[in-house]
Amino acid sequence: MKKNDADMLAAILQASNRYAMRPALVLDDRTYTYQELFGLAGSISETLRNLKEDIIGITAENSMETYASILAVLFSGKTYVMLHPDYPAERNCRIAGQSGIGLLLYSGENGDILPADISARRVSLSSYCPASYSGIVVPDVDPDVPAYIIFTSGSTGEPKGVPISRKNLDAFYRAYSALGWELDENDRMLQMFELTFDVSVVSFLYPLTLGACVYAVPQKGMKYLNVLDIMERHRLTFAAVAPSVLRLSRPYFGEICFPDLRYLIVTAEATDVNLLNEFRPCIPNAKVINLYGPTEATIYCTSYVIPAEGTKHHNGMAAIGKPFQGMDYMIVSPLGKQLPAGETGELWISGPQLMSGYWCAPEKTAECFVTDSSGRLYYRTGDLCLADSDGDIIYCGRKDTQVKIQGFRIELSEIEYHVKAFYGHTCNALVLPIYTHDGNCELHLVIEKDAEDTENLERYMQSHLPSYMLPRRIHFIHCFPQNNSNKTDRNQLLKYITQ
Amino acid sequence: METTELLEILNGIFRKVLKRDNIALTEDTTAHDVDGWDSLTNMVLISEIENKFGVRFTFREIVKLKNVGDLCHAIMNKTK
Repeated sequence: MKKNDADMLAAILQASNRYAMRPALVLDDRTYTYQELFGLAGSISETLRNLKEDIIGITAENSMETYASILAVLFSGKTYVMLHPDYPAERNCRIAGQSGIGLLLYSGENGDILPADISARRVSLSSYCPASYSGIVVPDVDPDVPAYIIFTSGSTGEPKGVPISRKNLDAFYRAYSALGWELDENDRMLQMFELTFDVSVVSFLYPLTLGACVYAVPQKGMKYLNVLDIMERHRLTFAAVAPSVLRLSRPYFGEICFPDLRYLIVTAEATDVNLLNEFRPCIPNAKVINLYGPTEATIYCTSYVIPAEGTKHHNGMAAIGKPFQGMDYMIVSPLGKQLPAGETGELWISGPQLMSGYWCAPEKTAECFVTDSSGRLYYRTGDLCLADSDGDIIYCGRKDTQVKIQGFRIELSEIEYHVKAFYGHTCNALVLPIYTHDGNCELHLVIEKDAEDTENLERYMQSHLPSYMLPRRIHFIHCFPQNNSNKTDRNQLLKYITQ
Repeated sequence: METTELLEILNGIFRKVLKRDNIALTEDTTAHDVDGWDSLTNMVLISEIENKFGVRFTFREIVKLKNVGDLCHAIMNKTK
């Protein structure tokens, strides 16, 4: 294998030289060439290399400087940690403290994102003058050094740091490239994700390995409108989106069309097959692929091409398909026994994309890793899945969305499925378990819709679901809140309905 | 309809949807100026406005709205 086939940064560097005058990044309708982007990145990288700090904080802004900083840290052989200006100061503080950020790169006004008692050096990029483009030299870096640390929310409120090493990133890059994309330097590719969420890493870096152009979506304002607008105006050929984008743009399906789009990736949460089918006429020439993976296994680790007809699904949620090349999985019972095809259990995954453990948190690492009898290390995803006879993995929901009521094991997605079916799949529905003081579990149904009479719905549910599965209360909310990863924010919803 | 009258009606809709009593829109107001006016609540706002005035906005029209003034003009054009 040639070096570039295995090394993501080398491929990016090669493309940046070969396509120097071509557009690399479009931001707020301003185009930056490879030469401009890598000129700045190279110059920041040189500065970083001469400093002793190894963990570099970057403020997540919709600016060329932010994107150049990411490249700069990678090329300098150091580790980046994104801090978000919209996060509560307390969360940024914890992240900075936990990861040991020694230096903060920022542009704009965000130098004060960390309070003064965090002793990191602050470097503003707003007035930074890039040196003339003399080419970037990538130092030999220990492949175990993290490329980035992403913080995910821990159930205890303390964010967990997921360090992804250069080895992980390259394993991901090899497997992702092997999916057989027909993409090249002429492609126009979407980056809609917050930089604190790992799908942004592939949305930004992969196009740069091809010499293609990245179209970054402003995070402020009407984001889903911005996504559609950019996809249409710039005739994008590749877009990875969260299903929420489809849900929110549903009122406009009749007026939008993206004939140039060749790939639509749906990711970040379960994809509603019916919603996708309604969207299909808008993307007549696109192949639709569901990509799944926990941050701990480097962005994505399974893929499923969603066919126009006969999609494999569970309660309307599209299958997640087969593991990436080099990755392996098992479906496991609550007692830790491997289950045969057709049986639902927790998905455990294994392979070179797995992080080596949470950042400075050995007890949390021990909780999520298991070694099987042959010594192979598995990560417990917390996702309930089953494998069908073709070896395709079907996603069945989060482990914590399975509840027990009166001794019955209930999958909340089954209730949601029937509710959505009642409305002809025109709106989203979520069932939230609420535990009362005496430890009982009550099901609350939340429907994304204007309030209306529920008599017919209740009758429909009674005729399709056993009585122990019937929700105790029904709430309507016009629009579900989302978290920073564009997933429906269950905690916010819970607050809303219990307040 | 006069712009001031329109702004008063919009204030009512925004206050109700965003659950804030202190919203006072002007023609220059943008989403950045109003707490809680984001991608998600915008959907609710647009649909409330559509219902109130009996109009319908296309995706292209909504994308072009840069501030409340644009919104007022769009409503006035549609209700002429």
